[in-house]
Amino acid sequence: MMAFRNVRVTRETFEAAPLDVAPLVPKVSKTAAAPVATSPSGPVDPVLAAALVFVIFFGVVMVYSASNVLGATRHHDPEFFLTRQLMYAGGALALLFGLSRIDYHRLYKATYAVLLGTGGLLTACIAGLGHSGGGATRWIAIGPVHIQPAEIAKLAIVVWLAYSLAKKAEAVKSFTVGFLPHLLVAGLFMVLCMKQPDFGSAVVLLLLTFAMLFVAGARVGYILGAAILGSLFAVVSVLSKSYRMQRYEAWMHLEQNRQGIGYQPYQSVMSYGSGGFFGHGIGRGTQTMFLPEAHTDFISAIIGEELGYIGICGLILLYLLIVARGVRTALRAPDDYGAYLAYGISFLFGIQAVFNLCVALSLLPTKGLTLPFLSFGGSSLLVNAAAAGILLNISRQGPIEVALEDAPTPRPTEVRRRGKSADVDVLEPEPSLEPGDVEALS
Amino acid sequence: MRNLDPNRAKWIRFRMGALLVLVASGFGALASTAWRVQVEEGHAWRAAAEAQSKRKLHVAPKRGTISDRHGTPFAVSIEVPSLSVDVAELLHGVEGQEAQAQALMDAARTLAKPLALDEHDLYQKLSKKKRFQWIKRRLSAEEVAAVQALVDPRKTDPNAKPLKGLSIDGEGQRYYPARTLLGPVLGRVAPDGSGQEGLELALDEELQGHAVEASKGGDDGAHAEDAATGHGIELAIDEGIQHVAEREIEAALKTYETRGASIVVLDPETGEILALASAPGFNPNDFIPTKDDTRLNHAVVDRFEPGSVMKVFTFAAALSKGVLAENEKIYCEHGYYELAGAKIHDTHENDLLTPTQILAKSSNIGTLKIALRLGEPELYGAFRRFGFGEPTGLPVPGESGGILRPRGRPWVEVETATASFGQGIGVTTMQLAMAMGAIANGGKLMEPILVRRVTDARGQTLRENVPHVRREVVPRSVAKTVAEMLTAVVEDGGTGVEAAIPGYRVAGKTATAQKADPATGRYSEDKYIASFVGFVPADKPKVVVAVVLDEPMIGRYGGDLAGPVFRRVAESSLRYLGVTPFKGSAKLADISRKDDVADRALDALRPSPPSTLAPPTDTSFGPPAPGASEVPDLTSLPAREALLRLTKLGLLPEMEGTGRLVRQQPAAGTRVPKGSKVHLVFEPGS
Repeated sequence: MMAFRNVRVTRETFEAAPLDVAPLVPKVSKTAAAPVATSPSGPVDPVLAAALVFVIFFGVVMVYSASNVLGATRHHDPEFFLTRQLMYAGGALALLFGLSRIDYHRLYKATYAVLLGTGGLLTACIAGLGHSGGGATRWIAIGPVHIQPAEIAKLAIVVWLAYSLAKKAEAVKSFTVGFLPHLLVAGLFMVLCMKQPDFGSAVVLLLLTFAMLFVAGARVGYILGAAILGSLFAVVSVLSKSYRMQRYEAWMHLEQNRQGIGYQPYQSVMSYGSGGFFGHGIGRGTQTMFLPEAHTDFISAIIGEELGYIGICGLILLYLLIVARGVRTALRAPDDYGAYLAYGISFLFGIQAVFNLCVALSLLPTKGLTLPFLSFGGSSLLVNAAAAGILLNISRQGPIEVALEDAPTPRPTEVRRRGKSADVDVLEPEPSLEPGDVEALS
Repeated sequence: MRNLDPNRAKWIRFRMGALLVLVASGFGALASTAWRVQVEEGHAWRAAAEAQSKRKLHVAPKRGTISDRHGTPFAVSIEVPSLSVDVAELLHGVEGQEAQAQALMDAARTLAKPLALDEHDLYQKLSKKKRFQWIKRRLSAEEVAAVQALVDPRKTDPNAKPLKGLSIDGEGQRYYPARTLLGPVLGRVAPDGSGQEGLELALDEELQGHAVEASKGGDDGAHAEDAATGHGIELAIDEGIQHVAEREIEAALKTYETRGASIVVLDPETGEILALASAPGFNPNDFIPTKDDTRLNHAVVDRFEPGSVMKVFTFAAALSKGVLAENEKIYCEHGYYELAGAKIHDTHENDLLTPTQILAKSSNIGTLKIALRLGEPELYGAFRRFGFGEPTGLPVPGESGGILRPRGRPWVEVETATASFGQGIGVTTMQLAMAMGAIANGGKLMEPILVRRVTDARGQTLRENVPHVRREVVPRSVAKTVAEMLTAVVEDGGTGVEAAIPGYRVAGKTATAQKADPATGRYSEDKYIASFVGFVPADKPKVVVAVVLDEPMIGRYGGDLAGPVFRRVAESSLRYLGVTPFKGSAKLADISRKDDVADRALDALRPSPPSTLAPPTDTSFGPPAPGASEVPDLTSLPAREALLRLTKLGLLPEMEGTGRLVRQQPAAGTRVPKGSKVHLVFEPGS
């Protein structure tokens, strides 16, 4: 149990960070003014929180609309998927608000536990403990709960990169210290994902890594070089697996393959198209009978059918809002670690949404990526909710004095906050934050 | 980033912003793609999606029933079970090409045997991996039971794996309980449920009903069983009269060896068509693509030169125009007259005739003289007002409008003369009946009513065709005068004595028209159209009957051939309608047994014994199928009643013999799937 029981450990950790040079100052009375907050007292970003809660509820509605036919035909219960998604959504909301009240700095210390735990799960998954479905071994069954390590891996890599990049600071610019290790760890995760096989998650991991390295100041040349290598690798991997090649073929020649391999993307585009500008209305679409995985990876197609172009634009704006508020949180974060973490999480949401929608509109070949918060599935929803909880917590710790936000030099405010968080930690009974906990929930 | 060197922090902010812009532009690209797909191409995609979901749901609602004016069904749809498969569902959870092929092979093997299908063919079918594929349509009870055992095998073998993706759905099959009755009018339905000919085609939209938007809620989502039923069509046809007409037309066809024939029975007051018979007919139940001729509705499709019947309308026009006096005498040239080089003959040599006599003796010369007094525009106009030269507007496909001016210009004098006695123009039987109806009812040309009522699935009237006067053609007094003159036709000395009905005053007109030989372009010597169009009782007409016989081989004259047919049809119709004769007490005994006429009609409805006895469906084992019906006890019921009871339950009757039911197979109380055949044996009561 890696709990932050020792306050000094926390402080040392932060003091050890090269840039964490601001001296600790005694805590200021501000803490006491926040009577209920278990973490630093600021309110969460209300816009971000509202958008997240809305998108989770919207997901439940759309999952029901997209899954009742499948539930009825396959499980003789139209509400089969609804009841499950409702449970996941309950868990997701609890996780969202629970984590938003726990200081994200506690995660700092647990970084390696998260990373190693996730790595272990990924390895276990391909080592034979996994549970197969849809031609891939992407799940690990723990009793009745099936978890998808690849979903956790995306968050884990963000957590670790934020930690590592914040710690290495200026050293990020170097190749051996700042670039290669990150790429190697990410590469290991990617290889584990590819073994499942889960090409989509591997691509997301790579792009996340590039994005965070880029933001942290890695040389663009290295990233470009790695990107070229990565693309070459991607091409080889597509050519090496016949089903990936088929998907690519199906994508290139959608119309010809609409009865066979291109059936799913073709039906997805048809769903979008049949929705027109205003859509059929929620629950009135008929494409769920034709579109496989309508409630998971292709849920946006049902949104397109039932809510039309208006709905899709709303959906895109909603994601854009979440990402933008996340980036705002990153910009206002009290420290590097928080900034990187917030940015990584926001980018994680954004890139998954873009990829998923691109697949659904057949702009990209089928990948098997979920639409964050909307697709049916516990792992995806709970991991994303956990990430969003962390993001909300960072938003809480933004500058209280807005006027100080753009101040060029560190101000006591931040120091005060950090000290405060440490103090609070001591006062609180320690909720444990273990990778295992997150996983068990999903 | 407050901990950072400001310069570096600035860079980080910049890079974060740049990546955000990148993500935003990704979203922007998505929005523009969605615009193209949803708004610009939306209509095409929506049409494709709708077509697809219709196929999948086969939401073609149950086709509406066509019945006569008393609700006796002429065409009903019953549900028969059919087996389809969703191959994607069948292969759910089977990965890899080889495993899938193996799974399909196994499925084909398992299914082929109980369904008596070829295993290889079935495998080929399945290999297309369609989301919807018929496996076998119209399953028997054993086949249904066998499939159910495959879908849910746990009853027999707890370890057996169920076959997924199969579904048994009721598929509508059209059945015509009245067999050949009204066949050419009803038309037929293709196996896919679309009307192909006759009323089934003309009223296809109504009969099919509108596929309601398939509700996705509940577990009926994929079935949409409550898709709307098509509208019911109630015809003006009276089954009893229709039957009489067909019986007589059949008799005429055999007796005179005519090429074809048509009969229209009409209520002159309302314009309702009580019978519409066309021979040769066909049985829509066992449709075989034969010569189209048998499936044509000759009464509305065929255009022919009517001959002397047209004299009636020439007279009506002349009387209403005042160019003809009721009691004047017209010189008929002793049966030979030349007009602009054309030689015109009468069958009888006559001197001076009254208008009534001209009609009774059917003098062409007398008629043409009257027509020439009228002049071309007046005669043409009168014919048009009587409804010739345009379709009567029946809701049947292919109705001919006839042709009045075949050369597209006003008639020259000779043409006016010949048109006045029905040569050189083309009309249909239906037009003749409607025009005669206008004489019968006092001068009003009615809209013909074939469809009386359109009802929805719950029997609520959606549309009703009420009698509607198309136009006042001649004054009431003129119509009365002409009607009175026409009674002379069937009296002694007239051409239509054969058409007289004891006890009733008949008004009508015979016609014997030579057919134009298309080979020579002249009138044929041996090909005639013999017809009789009349109404009865003359003073208060209840029915108009038009009989047209095409190319009789035996006999020639309309009075001799069509007259008796008219008499029998009209007499039966009158009795059926309960019109009492005013004289001729000899027939009073018949009147007291008025119901027997209807019974007789139904007796004839019973088919002759089927040539081959279809093996009765054995249903003694197996669980009751979905949509199963219990065979009712029909013993001692008359055919009509038995037939109604069975079709209501969705069963197919097979009938043998006449009289009352003595045996049935399967026995009463047996549960059989809908669409099963029930063999009925009738014997005349003792």
